[in-house]
Amino acid sequence: MNTTLPHQHFLESGLRINRRHFFGRNATGIGTAALASLLNREGLLGTDVPSTSKPGMPGLPNLPHHAAKAKRIIYLFQNGAPTHVDLFDYKPAIKPIHGTPVPESFLNGKRFSTMTGDPSGKLMLSPVEPFKRRGQSGAWVSELLPHTAKIADELCFVKSMHTDAVNHAPAISFFLSGAEIPGRPTLGAWMTYGLGVESDNLPGFVVMTSVSKGTTCGQIFYDFYWGSGFLPSRYQGVKFRGGGSPVLYVEDPAGMNAKLKRGLLDDIGKVNRLKYEQVQDPEIETRIAQYEMAYRMQTGVPELTDLSQEPDHVLDLYGPQVKEQGTFAYNCLMARRLIERGTRYVQVMHAGWDQHNSITTELYTQCKDTDQPSAGLIMDLKQRGLLDDTLVVWGGEFGRTPFIQGDINNRPKWGRDHHPYAFTLWMAGGGIKPGISYGASDELAMNAVENPVHVHDLQATLMHQLGIDHERLTYRFQGRYYRLTDVHGHIVQDILA
Amino acid sequence: MSRLRIQSIITQLEDIWYHSGRKLLRRANRSFIFLLMFSAWPMQAEEERVIDFSREILPLLSDACFQCHGPDPKARKADLRLDVEESAKKHSDGGSPVIKPGNPDQSELIRRLITEDPDDLMPPPELGRPLSESQIERLKLWIAQGAPWGKHWSLNPIHRPEPPAKGKHPIDAFVDHALEKNDLKAQPRAKRSTLIRRVALDLTGLPPTPQEVKEILQDTSDTWFEKAIDRYLSSPAYGERMAWNWLDAARYADSNGYQGDRERTMWPWRDWVVAAFNDNLPYDKFTTWQLAGDLLPNATHEQKLATGFCRNHMINGEGGRIPEENRVEYVMDMTETMGTVWLGATLTCARCHDHKYDPYTRKEYYQFFDFFNQTPVTGGGGDPQTAPVIATPSESQSKAIAQASAKVRKTRSHFEDLKTRHLPSLDDWAEKKLVELNEILKEENNSDKQTQKSIQSLQKALNTPSKDRSKEQKNQITNAFIESIPALAKARDALNQANNQLAQINRSVPKVMVMEERKERRETPMLERGLYNLKSDPVLAAVPASLPPLKGSKSPPNRLDLAQWLVRRDHPLTARVTVNRFWQQFFGLGLVKTPEDFGVQAEFPRHLELLDWLSAEFMESGWDVKHLVKTIMTSQTYQRSSATSPELIEADPENRLFARAPRFRLPSWMIRDQALAAAGLLDPSLGGPPVNGYQPDGVWEDATFGNKKYSQDHGKKLFRRSLYTFWRRIIAPTLFFDTASRQTCSVDAKRTNSPLHALTTLNDTTFVEAARGLASRAMKLAGQDQSKDIIDQIYLLTLTRPPMAEEKDIWSQSARRARNHFSKDKEALTKWLSHGESGVSSDLDPVELAAWTTVSLGILNMDETLNRE
Repeated sequence: MNTTLPHQHFLESGLRINRRHFFGRNATGIGTAALASLLNREGLLGTDVPSTSKPGMPGLPNLPHHAAKAKRIIYLFQNGAPTHVDLFDYKPAIKPIHGTPVPESFLNGKRFSTMTGDPSGKLMLSPVEPFKRRGQSGAWVSELLPHTAKIADELCFVKSMHTDAVNHAPAISFFLSGAEIPGRPTLGAWMTYGLGVESDNLPGFVVMTSVSKGTTCGQIFYDFYWGSGFLPSRYQGVKFRGGGSPVLYVEDPAGMNAKLKRGLLDDIGKVNRLKYEQVQDPEIETRIAQYEMAYRMQTGVPELTDLSQEPDHVLDLYGPQVKEQGTFAYNCLMARRLIERGTRYVQVMHAGWDQHNSITTELYTQCKDTDQPSAGLIMDLKQRGLLDDTLVVWGGEFGRTPFIQGDINNRPKWGRDHHPYAFTLWMAGGGIKPGISYGASDELAMNAVENPVHVHDLQATLMHQLGIDHERLTYRFQGRYYRLTDVHGHIVQDILA
Repeated sequence: MSRLRIQSIITQLEDIWYHSGRKLLRRANRSFIFLLMFSAWPMQAEEERVIDFSREILPLLSDACFQCHGPDPKARKADLRLDVEESAKKHSDGGSPVIKPGNPDQSELIRRLITEDPDDLMPPPELGRPLSESQIERLKLWIAQGAPWGKHWSLNPIHRPEPPAKGKHPIDAFVDHALEKNDLKAQPRAKRSTLIRRVALDLTGLPPTPQEVKEILQDTSDTWFEKAIDRYLSSPAYGERMAWNWLDAARYADSNGYQGDRERTMWPWRDWVVAAFNDNLPYDKFTTWQLAGDLLPNATHEQKLATGFCRNHMINGEGGRIPEENRVEYVMDMTETMGTVWLGATLTCARCHDHKYDPYTRKEYYQFFDFFNQTPVTGGGGDPQTAPVIATPSESQSKAIAQASAKVRKTRSHFEDLKTRHLPSLDDWAEKKLVELNEILKEENNSDKQTQKSIQSLQKALNTPSKDRSKEQKNQITNAFIESIPALAKARDALNQANNQLAQINRSVPKVMVMEERKERRETPMLERGLYNLKSDPVLAAVPASLPPLKGSKSPPNRLDLAQWLVRRDHPLTARVTVNRFWQQFFGLGLVKTPEDFGVQAEFPRHLELLDWLSAEFMESGWDVKHLVKTIMTSQTYQRSSATSPELIEADPENRLFARAPRFRLPSWMIRDQALAAAGLLDPSLGGPPVNGYQPDGVWEDATFGNKKYSQDHGKKLFRRSLYTFWRRIIAPTLFFDTASRQTCSVDAKRTNSPLHALTTLNDTTFVEAARGLASRAMKLAGQDQSKDIIDQIYLLTLTRPPMAEEKDIWSQSARRARNHFSKDKEALTKWLSHGESGVSSDLDPVELAAWTTVSLGILNMDETLNRE
């Protein structure tokens, strides 16, 4: 039997862990945080660490793991998969073989959606609009995106994205939750779980959706795109609605007014406090606090959506649709207003990028509806000094085939099918290098060949910028520890500023 | 660090020292807690303790080692398994055994845990999950005690343990014993009124009616509570309440899910579940019918209908999906749902690789899969009534079908008779007709193309010698012949009409997707990474080696064999997992905290003996669910007060020892039902197609690009129980929160506390209307009974108790304030009284009604109202 006393074990194990996890880092603040982190690691804290008995939402005690470059994220998710071939990934080698079969060497053993089936013999399709080099950085951007082109020097284009999934819902779920099958916590849920919520009268994780008018192939927005999975449901995204009141039930029922409501809430609070004195259940305190938060949201949300104080020169940045609720432009402006008010993660989703037969038609509408608002948001954030610590991501769930779907002789019906093997995504702000293009696909934009970035790598990188070590933010469920990046993910160090 | 968090840490630390250190700690001054724990801890106790492998060692090895040294051969390092005794006790390469029983110092396992050499240290430092010193000590002690091996607790057979005290309710015997050991004092029995509300909500999901309360309070016998339990067990609302959790587990919904989200008609299955609970169908039959009712000899309609359980999975109608990929996904869903519901097994992991912790190999996953892989279901098309289906007509539909069928028979025989009579003249007619057609074609060149074409075609048919005519040509001639005789044509039209009518009725009959075996066996290959197109070796249906073998069944066994195997007396999991879910329903938390996982990674249950006793009792009672429920509810443990104290919360924050009754927020659907019932608005009728209640405008439209238009129902349908609300899978009813997604199987209880919930219960039409209903009802009752005023009545209707004096003051003032507001603002008054479609009693003063509606809304939002106490 070992003769060491138990308290020595405790101290030694504590020191060992401290050494392991804090050595070489700025080891200030070892105290409660380290103790909490230590105990957590030892499995001595339950999984449901954040206290439920306080208003608002504190984060985990051991977070951030390191100094954060970004305090918040705006993810401009382009559902349906924008065509990298036509927008960003300029490949002069395609034009000469336009209309000829895909070289077999680019295809071997790849899985495509049933619409394509066997890709052999499909004909190559040249980008529909010309490309140009943009800004100081010389990034290639299509004429389809004139506004994005103007801010190219703010952006970091990742041109070697690749993913595992070939259909929309699983692929979007994979991007946002790290798993193709619904049911895992999404990025925003992990963020609010780990870092807590700052805002007093608005949710920490907000989702807004839109689709271009006249889109024939819109993809549905499933609520698991912003789900909290097995994390407690208070971490799930609050979806703002595209019409009417953005939060359900945020408006008083007709006939009720703020004064009467205030009085009623006071009365409920008084009765609840009596109850608390009797039964001492701490959940009652939480309930009282949440009713107060609900009341504050009833004023916070209308204030958020009141655009009367926005000057025209700001509104103009976002383009002509900015005042129209439910449009991408409106949602981009709202995203800025939300992060200004303490929301940590805003997921703006725009559907309609699924150009199976509309490369020459609906693609133009898509670009028109999203190009200026996306660029406007970046400029607006920049002029307010918010871009430094706000990370903006723009991209879809996969790319589109460099070969055609449809009849090469029927230009109005040209299309491209789903393509997971290479596509482009851009980021801005939040400690990401501006004005660079990272990675590359092969000469036909078919496969990511230079510095490939997998979805899990992107996730690891986003978390890193937030001060989160993606391998250490875990949650125990069904007997194992889960994390956003599953057992994968490498931080893309080269794009960090 | 907040005080609460510190408390929580302390409590968790205490857990570690749970076995005998409790009393000491509880009495200790909290500020010296650490000192106490780590210096005053007597080493003696540790040496005397006999280490329990299943409780203390297996979870530790599982957590720290199994990822690389567990059941999964692909992840296994150094060819070492620590989940198998033989491998764990063998000699390692270097010579010393990994575990040398009786000698921790010579065990390589221990050396690797304490070595200074980072290359040798286990678990590898980069995993970031080191063992604590106390855990290492525990391992040493276990090895010193001879390293006795054992099975994971949930895989051991269920023996009925002897309760630790005689003359007590067995549940109380187990619970009290643990309380004594931990020096905790149980709370006294709850007040009668609290118990009445508790049992009514727990068993029916509805508050007790004032009449029920009166009757139960009048019962002065010792058995009053038992009788109250029986009363609610026999209420039809019991089945509705019990069905809800089963629907969550069965991922029941009224639409397919995914894009398109087409509407399905599985609700007759839902009604079957309600009836099965009400009829107290024994759980073994409940199991067998739902998994394999179709395979029972001479299966009844009901038994086939029950298999709808398996078919409640989502159906993907997304364009471009590969049908076989969908089909495989559906079979996986069936397999994993069975795993969660009956085995408490997280089988999903084994899609791609052997389970990392539990004894389920990838091969065994696909052996389970093979049971469900034998149906003719296809994965293509997204039809919400994908065959096989079973038609389940209502009584009136059955009658209508019989009538329409009779009409078809009658009109058909009339037509056939007439035809037979006329047929001999067919040849004559044909000759004449041919001549006639030739004439027409010669003369009329100006008739339209279509007519000309059909004339030509008939001409051609008539010109063909009768023995050479195709079937189509024969039909063509017969039809033209019938057309030429008005009486015959009329008879034919009548037959067609009757047929159409029958088809129309048949179309309106709901069809439930059910199970059926196809004629030829489908081969089940294992799938690499779970991908439908990466097939490897084929497997045949079988059960995992770690569980009792299938006895005497044919080879290969089928779903019926699987179902019957699950409910065998010697099956270690089904009863435990089931009893745990019922316990969770009544105590907020299961005896095992993870109802979906009874594997090695689940916690070791504090009250394993209680769980086993209840499981044995459940099986030996003939899987009698009502008996199980009553057994739980007749215990003192169930009947305790839920009041707590800072000391109790500190000692047992999650109430795992049951010194008090649980106090938890009602499920959101029950909050709605409670409000409607208290308001006297609830329509209690059972079953039928789902209904669409109040919902803010544009919710479906917003989620589906306008493809799905929400059409709110009216009248009584607005006040049906929540169970009957149409469940659109991609956008669940907005009124409900913390519900299962109904996308995949869910057996845990979600209970969060968010401001969004407050917004719902304060502002939604349902609640504002219910508040008005409650106010009207209370005002009328108060008018009839002078002994109780309006506040008394609202409290009685909602909370089953009279208000305290302070509460009465608060609400009286509240009413006064509201009265003042509404008497000055007529417009607000009109609006405030106009919510919902139930109307306003004209015999009540509007200002009074508005004021009491406000108060009622407040009372419906009281913490006590939202909670089950």
